This record gives sequence, C-alpha cells and structure tokens, in this order.
Amino acid sequence: MIELRQLRKHYKMGSSVVHALDGADLDIGAGEFVSLTGASGSGKSTMMHLIGCLDRPTSGSYKLDGIAVNRMSDRQLAIVRNRKIGFVFQTFNLINRTSAVDNVAVPLIYSRKTSTKAAAMAALEKVGLTKRASHKPSELSGGERQRVAIARAIVNEPKLILADEPTGNLDSRTGDQIMAIFHQLHAAGTTIVLVTHEMDVAAQAKRIIRMRDGKIVADEILDDLKRSALQAEAHAGSHALGSST
Amino acid sequence: MFLLRICMMAASSLRANLMRSILACLGVIFGVAAVVSAMAILEGSTRDAVKRFETLGADQIIVTNGNDGRRGSRSVVRLSLTESDANALGELDSVENTAPESLITAQIKYFEKNLSIQLLATNHNYTRINGYKPERGRELAKQDVTSGRKVCILGHKVAKELFGETPAIGARVRIGGLGFTVVGVMEKKGFLGMRDVDEQVIIPLTTGLTRLFGNKYVQFITIQAQDSNELESVTQEVKRKLRVEHSIRAGEPDDFRVMTKEQITQSVGGFVDIMAIVLYSIAGISLVVGGIGITNIMLVSVTERTREIGVRMAVGAKRGDILLQFLLEAGVVSVFGGGLGVLLGRGFTKILENVTVVLQTHTTSRSILLALGMAFFTGVAAGLYPAFRASRLDPVEALRHE
Repeated sequence: MIELRQLRKHYKMGSSVVHALDGADLDIGAGEFVSLTGASGSGKSTMMHLIGCLDRPTSGSYKLDGIAVNRMSDRQLAIVRNRKIGFVFQTFNLINRTSAVDNVAVPLIYSRKTSTKAAAMAALEKVGLTKRASHKPSELSGGERQRVAIARAIVNEPKLILADEPTGNLDSRTGDQIMAIFHQLHAAGTTIVLVTHEMDVAAQAKRIIRMRDGKIVADEILDDLKRSALQAEAHAGSHALGSST
Repeated sequence: MFLLRICMMAASSLRANLMRSILACLGVIFGVAAVVSAMAILEGSTRDAVKRFETLGADQIIVTNGNDGRRGSRSVVRLSLTESDANALGELDSVENTAPESLITAQIKYFEKNLSIQLLATNHNYTRINGYKPERGRELAKQDVTSGRKVCILGHKVAKELFGETPAIGARVRIGGLGFTVVGVMEKKGFLGMRDVDEQVIIPLTTGLTRLFGNKYVQFITIQAQDSNELESVTQEVKRKLRVEHSIRAGEPDDFRVMTKEQITQSVGGFVDIMAIVLYSIAGISLVVGGIGITNIMLVSVTERTREIGVRMAVGAKRGDILLQFLLEAGVVSVFGGGLGVLLGRGFTKILENVTVVLQTHTTSRSILLALGMAFFTGVAAGLYPAFRASRLDPVEALRHE
C-alpha cells in the first residue's frame, strides 16, 4: 500500500537547513493498522504530510497503491487525496457554518459526484450519527464532531485513513469510542495510519513505528504481550506525571 | 451541478457573515443603486420628452432665434425673429399657416385670486396649427391681433382654478398689471411640445409685445407645412426666405435656427446621450469603489479561512476548485449587494418622482438585469486576487494555520 524509499524532506529555516525527514524507508501493506509515534520534532508530522500527499519529498520515492506519487502535479495529488486517502485531524477541522451531513459531503463535491446526500448519510450511519445529521458542528460534542470528521474521511471509501492525534482533544472515554471506530474500519479492510504521541493509543495498533530526529528508530509488530507492556508503561508514565504535580 | 454546489457553499458563507457581507458590498449596493436610478431617470425622461413631442403635429417646423453655426455662444442668443417674418413665411406657397410665439411667466389676478401662469402671446393661427380647440367662448381672431385687443383665452386648468364653476367668459382679469377680458376657455389638452398648455393663457401677439414684453421680437415661429412629406424642402425654403427678410449676405451665417419635430427629438436624444455618459461614469466609479471593498473583505476572509482552505485541499479540492469557489463567492456577495442596490435605487427613484413631480422615471427589467450583471462581474473581478491567493496556499501550511 505504502512504499517509501530513502524519503527526505528538508526545510530552510533562515540560513540553516532542517532535516525534518532524513532518509526513511518504510513499507505498509494494505489493511494494516499502524501507529506512528515520536516526540514533537521527531518528523512524524512531516512523514504524515508526505504519506498524505499534502507535500512532496525533497528526495526519495513514494509509491502509494503501486503508483509513484512523488512526482505528481498539484492537481494529480488533489485527485489522489480525494480518492485514496481520508484525513482525520486532532482539531476535527469541520466547517462550522454547515451541517454535519454537508461537512461529510465535501469530498464528494470535489469528486464531482452529482448526488451526495445518500452517500453522506451512509457514512454518518457507519459512525452512528445519522440522528445528528442536520446539526451544525457547534451543536455537537467533541466526540460527535470527531465522528463527523471520520465520516467525512470515509465517505469516498478510501483505501487509506490517516489520523493525526485523533483522540488528542477528547477525554479518554470518548477517545476509546473513536478508537473503536478505527478498529471497525480496520476490520473492514481499510489501511489505517495513526499518528500519536500517546502510548496507550499507539499501543492499540497492530504495528508501531517510532521516530526520532527525522529517522525511523523502531518498527515492531505488537503482540498481546508487548501491547500490555506498552499500556502498563503508559499508565505508569501518567501516574508518575500525576504524582509529580 | 458542481457550479451550483459551489454557489450554494458561497451562499452559506455569505449567510454566516451576513452583516460583514452587507458592509463588504456597500459600495456595490450604492453603485448598483446609482446605475438603476440613472437608467430609470434616463429612460423616464426620454420617454417623457418623446411623448411630449408626439403631441406636436408631424407637419410642423419650428424657427427659433440663435445660430446653428455658433453653438458655443448659445447663451448670447441674438433676437432676430419678428411678427413680419411670420407673415412673410406665411406667404410661401408650401406653408399653410404660421404662428409667431412669445412666452413669459406672469401672474394672473381675478379679485383676490392670484395664479402663476405661462403667458403666450401669439396670433390666431396658433390653435389651428396645433388642433387645439376652445371649450367655451372663442379662440383668438385675426382682428384681436391686428387691433391689439386686450382679450385673453384661458387654459383649462387656469380657468378651473380662477373661476371654479362660475362662468369665466366676459370676466375681467388682470395679467401683469393690465386688464384683460376673458373671451374663451380652451379644452383640456395637457402637454403640447415642452409645456402644459392647460396652465397657459393666450393673448394677442401685438398686445403682448407692445404692452407687456417690451420688445418687438418673438421667441419662435411655428410653421405648418402644406405637405408633411416635403418638410425638408420647406425647411430650405423657409431658410432662404428668412435670409432675405433679415438681409443676410451670402457667406454670412444664419441668425435663426429651423428645426423639424424629428430634429428636435434627435437633439433631445443627443442631450440624453450626454446625460447617460455622465450618469454611467458616476455609477461606474462607485462600482469600482464597491469592487475594492469586496477585494478587501475577501482578503480578510481568505486569511480567516486559511485552515478551511487547507481542509478542503486535504479532502481533494484542486487549486482550481478553491479559485472558483472564492471567485463565485465574491460574485454571489456582489449580486446580493446588487439586489439590495436595485431595491435602494427603486426606492430612490420613487422618492425623486414624488418630490420633484416633473421628473419622470421608468425602470425596465432590462436595466435591472444589466445592473445585476454588472454587479456580478464587479464581484468576480474584485475576487480575482483574493481567490488567486487562496488557491496558491500550501495545504500543509494552511492546515497548521491557527
């Protein structure tokens, strides 16, 4: 599904050059559930932007679903994002002045679909939000907003879902509900890449990739043993944090 | 379909910021109001003028003082026409009748009643040429003019206001301090040429010139041609005759102007054209200013909605889609402003009509569509730069924008 070879991304910051991504090699197969973790500045956001076709690498190659996308035009990238990728953001990024169902329909408009209502409602049904379809984002809770955002991400039935800290702005119970939806989507065959710095969220994936200083430093398949070890570690960390304050 | 959806999105963002949208298109509102009013006034006054000249007979030729060749010095019209000119022209074979006319504003008094009127000094041919008939009493007779009698014939409205139901014939009235006997009341006619003859009082030319006007010149001579198909040749004949009467040597310019009804209508048209240029320039300037207002607000809107633009790009909007969306949004805002402008302009012309009374306006659906079209293109042109800026945003940067 995703094939990265020696992928690099350099930015100029004043006179110095920042190596946001410094030669990453990565393969993610179709239907995998992968989490991408690392501290801020580790390059995980840059990685997500590149995988999401929002940005082009400075060098290296990227094949998405067998097609080289690193040399595509802006227009072609937009089509790829529209057809193959669904984005879920930490801050939901809904358009506040329109209803939930209209938000979900936005990708359909850009794929020049003539009728959007039925597909948008079907996507809302998958996240269990049909009753709130005509509500505006401001009338919805955080968890509901994120579910609308997920419905928007899946409305075009993309092969890949890219979620950037999807539970970051939610309490843990609501976060669990959102994660349950990702598990459902994964079970239905969608490839999911979850970017997060929260270990207990990252531990829910089947595979975890850790990044530091623009490089992939660890890439492991999570079995139940490793997963519970990670979750215990995450809880200990939060307890330690709690006791220190 | 896609365009319709984009328009609907634009409409929803307009609704979300209604007050700001109205402020943004304030300039367009006034610009369109100006266009609509300008067109209504032009259309109205053209129709009005045309309607008035329609009342003149097709066989009429009007001779006025002044000179065709020196339009620049029209304010110093040299008076040259006299009653004897009218009589001389009347002797031409191709001319049926001539009426010398002089007009002033005067006060007419009947006991304690006092009225401001148009006082027309003319001869017995005036009513005949214009097919204007008395309702009661008689019209001017030849003897009235030759012997300079102090008689007058009242316009319909003048008689009604001065006498009401009581008979006017035989009554003594004072006009400009001079006593006159009312010998006739004219029928209700309305406009004859440029003036409302119902508000007019007719007196014999000689009486007017010698006793009231204080000069021997007349303001114009109305000529009725024998054959309305020969107006061009009659015009030439009239010119030749007048040059002889005024002893104008060859090579010297005329000291009079001869116009047919058609030429008068054309000259009104020319005036209307100049008015149109002036009014449209003003309207155009306010539309440009309105466009700048829209550009300004659209730039703010693009900055404010940077994140939204990023999201739209992330879910598959092409740069062209974003460009189109903001262009249409500017267009929709502008047409919305245009709609308000049309209402404002209609209101303004209605008030203008009621306040000034004399000004006639006429709003056509064509002018409304034209104004809305202009508003749309102003909006799209104004939205060009902001929309371009929006479409060039980097999706990653835009998504990061707070």
